[in-house]
Amino acid sequence: MASYRTKALAVATAAALAATLAACGGGSSNANSNTKGGGTLTYYVRSAYEHTDPQRSYLGVEMTNFSRTVYRGLVAFPISSDPTVATTPVPDLATTTGTSTNNAKTWSYTIKNGVKWQDGKAITCEDFKYGASRVFATDVITGGPNYILTYLDIPTDAKTGLPAYDGPYKKDGQALFDKAITCSGNTITYHFKKPWPDFPEAIAALHMMDPYRADKDQGDKSNYQIFSDGPYELQGGTWSKETGGTFVRNPNYSASTDSPNVRKALPNEIIFKVGQTSEQITDQLVADAGPNKGAVTQQSIPSSKFSQVLGPVASRTVSVTSPYVDYLVLNFNRLKNLKVRQAIAMSTDDTAWVAAGGGPKAYKPATDIVSPLVKGYQANLFPGGSGNPAQAKTLLQSAGVKMPYPLTYTYPSTPTADAQARVLQSAWQAAGFKVTLQGVANSDVYYTNIQQPNQAADLIWAGWGADWPSAITVTAPLFDSRPNLTSKSNGQDYGAYKSDPFNALVDKAQNSSSLTDQTTFLQQADQLLAKDVAYIPLDIPIFYMIHGSEVLNYTNNAASNGYPDLGPIDVASSVK
Amino acid sequence: MFAYVVRRCFTGVIMLVVMSFVTYFLFFASPLDPGKFACGKSCPPALIKQTDKALGFDKPWPVQWKDFAVGVVKGRDYPEDPALRKSAPQLISHCSAPCLGYSQVNLINVTSELKDKIPISASLALVAFLMWIAGGISLGAIAALTKGSIVDRGVVGISLVFYALPTFWMGLFLIEFPAIKWGLVAVPSYTSIADGGVWGWLSNLFLPALTLALFYMAGYVRITRAFVLESMSEDYLRTAKAKGLAPRKILVKHTMRAALTPIVTLAGLDFAGLLGGAIITEQVFNFNGLGKLAVDSIQTFDLPTTLGLVLLLAAFVIVANIIVDILYAVIDPRVRVG
Amino acid sequence: MSFPESQLEVAEPIDPQITATGLVAGQSPTRLAYNRFRRDRLSMISFWIVVFYFAAGIVSPILVKVGVSKPYGQDQKLLNIDLGGIPSGSWGGTSWHHLLGVEPRVGTDFLSRLSYGITFSLTIAICATVVAVVIGVVLGIISGFSGGYVDAVIGRFIDMTLSFPQTLMLLALSTTGVALFAKILPGEATDPIPNGVYEVLVLGLFGWPSIARLIRGQVLSIREREFIDAARLSGASRGRIYFKEILPNLWAPVLVQFTLIMPAYVSAEAALAFLGVGIPPPTPTLGNILGDSVNFSGSDFSYFLYPALLLAIIVVSFNLLGDGLRDALDPKGDR
Repeated sequence: MASYRTKALAVATAAALAATLAACGGGSSNANSNTKGGGTLTYYVRSAYEHTDPQRSYLGVEMTNFSRTVYRGLVAFPISSDPTVATTPVPDLATTTGTSTNNAKTWSYTIKNGVKWQDGKAITCEDFKYGASRVFATDVITGGPNYILTYLDIPTDAKTGLPAYDGPYKKDGQALFDKAITCSGNTITYHFKKPWPDFPEAIAALHMMDPYRADKDQGDKSNYQIFSDGPYELQGGTWSKETGGTFVRNPNYSASTDSPNVRKALPNEIIFKVGQTSEQITDQLVADAGPNKGAVTQQSIPSSKFSQVLGPVASRTVSVTSPYVDYLVLNFNRLKNLKVRQAIAMSTDDTAWVAAGGGPKAYKPATDIVSPLVKGYQANLFPGGSGNPAQAKTLLQSAGVKMPYPLTYTYPSTPTADAQARVLQSAWQAAGFKVTLQGVANSDVYYTNIQQPNQAADLIWAGWGADWPSAITVTAPLFDSRPNLTSKSNGQDYGAYKSDPFNALVDKAQNSSSLTDQTTFLQQADQLLAKDVAYIPLDIPIFYMIHGSEVLNYTNNAASNGYPDLGPIDVASSVK
Repeated sequence: MFAYVVRRCFTGVIMLVVMSFVTYFLFFASPLDPGKFACGKSCPPALIKQTDKALGFDKPWPVQWKDFAVGVVKGRDYPEDPALRKSAPQLISHCSAPCLGYSQVNLINVTSELKDKIPISASLALVAFLMWIAGGISLGAIAALTKGSIVDRGVVGISLVFYALPTFWMGLFLIEFPAIKWGLVAVPSYTSIADGGVWGWLSNLFLPALTLALFYMAGYVRITRAFVLESMSEDYLRTAKAKGLAPRKILVKHTMRAALTPIVTLAGLDFAGLLGGAIITEQVFNFNGLGKLAVDSIQTFDLPTTLGLVLLLAAFVIVANIIVDILYAVIDPRVRVG
Repeated sequence: MSFPESQLEVAEPIDPQITATGLVAGQSPTRLAYNRFRRDRLSMISFWIVVFYFAAGIVSPILVKVGVSKPYGQDQKLLNIDLGGIPSGSWGGTSWHHLLGVEPRVGTDFLSRLSYGITFSLTIAICATVVAVVIGVVLGIISGFSGGYVDAVIGRFIDMTLSFPQTLMLLALSTTGVALFAKILPGEATDPIPNGVYEVLVLGLFGWPSIARLIRGQVLSIREREFIDAARLSGASRGRIYFKEILPNLWAPVLVQFTLIMPAYVSAEAALAFLGVGIPPPTPTLGNILGDSVNFSGSDFSYFLYPALLLAIIVVSFNLLGDGLRDALDPKGDR
């Protein structure tokens, strides 16, 4: 579940936050190419990273930062301001972007010669296989993406629904795994149960298939250990959850095995500083003193600081569309009347919502739950705009329900989200609803709450970003009732939406081996959701970020999930 | 005296046991599932169940409490699952006694987790304590000596204003203006003496300690003022005055001594409370002490860490109470420990 | 401020509040104290400020009902949306219609919100104080009057309450506690009442020990007086002695305690709002307004300033009022 919005003091857990990847329009400032390298880059992070273990990290920003510095994969996304190029994988540790056979059910890669770990040992096919096997140890390696549990050709236990292989620690079913992923010399082959046409995109975006050295694996104890195969290594080897870490040059990295389109690795040192609030980070970058001249951050400028980012300071900002979409879920256990749902959608004041959230510098209005940067986006699925309370009132009256119709809206509470909730409330009330607001201050508790099957809210705020740039990682995981709805939890189908025609379209999409067919089915499925008013799209957050005056080649692009791209970045001489 | 201390320690331990039991009970009365928090995104119920089992949350709470109590005495090995420990010994992390459990969120045993945080909170508490004691007593004495004047009103009024502003407001103000806008001091980030030397340690503690000191000072100004005024009117002081002793000598030797008893009481408990972490100040200044850990552990439903903190904090206060009582007897010979 | 109970036997009362309030207060005519209080200018100013806040707290819900005050109204046309929704116009968008300007992001009249916020903040503080004082006084009287075994048990209980890390528990149990109150209290599921009840109870339940201790000290000396003996000999029941004979002699320290604890709870509400516990928006309290306004120090200074100012004034006034009352009720003050 993709949420980047946490209260300033709330801890962002990987459980509640999510990973994303999708194409975003690239943005850059002072992009010049007279790069020499050296110097120290400071990188400010607000909330602690829950994991730095490649198989356990799932936050878009963690994955992009580590991809460019310490974790290489078979393929990677190149540095480019063109969203299409930036989300088309290029070879990284493998020689090609992979060859698929058997209707995209089998993928194989050959590993480059001369690629090494930070201790000088060669990276082998077995390391890749071991890395993938860790995902199956679901009792130890928690928190990361687990797509391969359902994709890899391993039988599942009928009773629990879990794969018959339980990872490299307990080793039950090891033979089954050895058949599903095979090594022959330097070539690794993956066998899947169902077609996975965009497998290269998935493994360029996520670290789940990254290599891992068996002799370095200590389960939980390895969570914050970084054993690098990239241009940098972590000083001391262990990341500090609360304070971050310092990346220094990895002597065993050879640039000749890598491409400057993926990593330029120019600064000598990258210092990650964790824990200050977005407001404090912004203020320090606006002040631009000392080491902050060479500093960047993954935090957007909070709207309360917009008026301080004007004039010359504004030239140090970059604004790109993020890969996320925020939306309202309608609770189908409570809102069973279609006309009521339509009246809610019709009276939703999206314009006021965006304005309360900080205006055009903070949000763009959304008209589809699928981001415009993802395949399958449809521009006119919902009308958006400021809504029509009068017409909605007529519709609600025709629905034959008692007026004012009571509604409860639940959302993770922050000062901004509270303001946004208040403007929605006032628009809905104008259309004949009586709205109670239920802000939940603790964002971790929030996600647990909205998954409860007996959830008492009618309208539920949620945010999502595609795991890789395909709608199959948006509408399918969010509205397919089969994997989501159980007696104990609604999964990510927070509104308990259940539709057989929708599920059938998802099946068709998942079983098509061509991406074009898949996209068509997914668009039809999305139209069905719009017709049923299963959700109301609200906004697309803008990543509006500021950097120090001595940072060069600064870009936020699709390959870096909209965050500062550490691939090409450089710092000018005065902070060296 | 010795018997008294032993008795107090014994009741203290019993109180801790009761508290741990109460905390366990209260947590398990809550509808939230700790496994869900640890398991992560898109976790089907089967996986959540498995996570609960791996973390030992599937057992009934009295059994979990018993395991915890045994761990405190004997130490424990993690992960809980014996099959996993047997097949993959490289995963085992030993938590030696007194083992307060294993945090499924921070992936470290609670004892070492707390050990890392104590120096940060203790440093902050110590520096803040010295600041407010020095400031509070001297300002209180000044106010008393100038009773009724503008200086007296000013000191009392300003210290009250600082007490009135919430610490989060004061802290954010100090970061925003003196540190960032005016650039007078660096934005503090905790540096241990080993890393930054005494100066580096102290300078980074200045702003957060000031935030706390400004808040706590008002109480000390008030008590010192009240006691100096009161004792100045007492008979033996009048005698001393009549005998022609210098006013300063009277103040230091007689008056302050009388004020010392209540100040020690108050200071001992305030200090002990702060040792357990200044929740808001640590949060605002991003100091990773016990207070910030407390908020984080509650928000991520990290029961073992929260429990460890409850017990540690309570222990601080219990010990401080005992020490304060002993100090009493030392300062004021009229007091008898019984 | 809390003073620890201890097993020490102290030759004289050392608690400044005990000495300062003076047991003789009951004997000196109320009139004397009243005159003393009126002569103290600072106390009188504080008193009127406190009266003003109470008046604002009582009047604003009426104004909201009538529709003069609109703490939930909104008008985004008054805002500069391109700059993140800060008010257009100087000093937070101050105008004849909006005397203290408007709130960023939404455009609500800030005066309406602040005055309604005072209502909620004061209500919470008063209720919590009442809870703490009632428990403290009852247990203090019982403990002081009974002595022996009962006194020891209450003493242990006070120790335990004081060593319980209260902020931590308050945070930790808030989800469960609020859910519990939502279930047992009548009214709509999402009213802020359960949050308020939780906050009041927890603040009160951790606040009584210092009062109990103070009252116990007072009772210890009252119980030896003649009129108690007389009541006992005439066969009065314990309850009658507690509440008809002892309690009337305690009104002075109780009043002083009340005025000193209440401002602490006004601040506590603000601190808890910062930690995300307490009354949820859109209901305004000084705490949750302040929690938002701290971020606007650079972009909307009046929004940043007013809530902090209001909070500081009420807390300071209450404390000065408490001090003034104590001095007035303390005959030594004239010396």
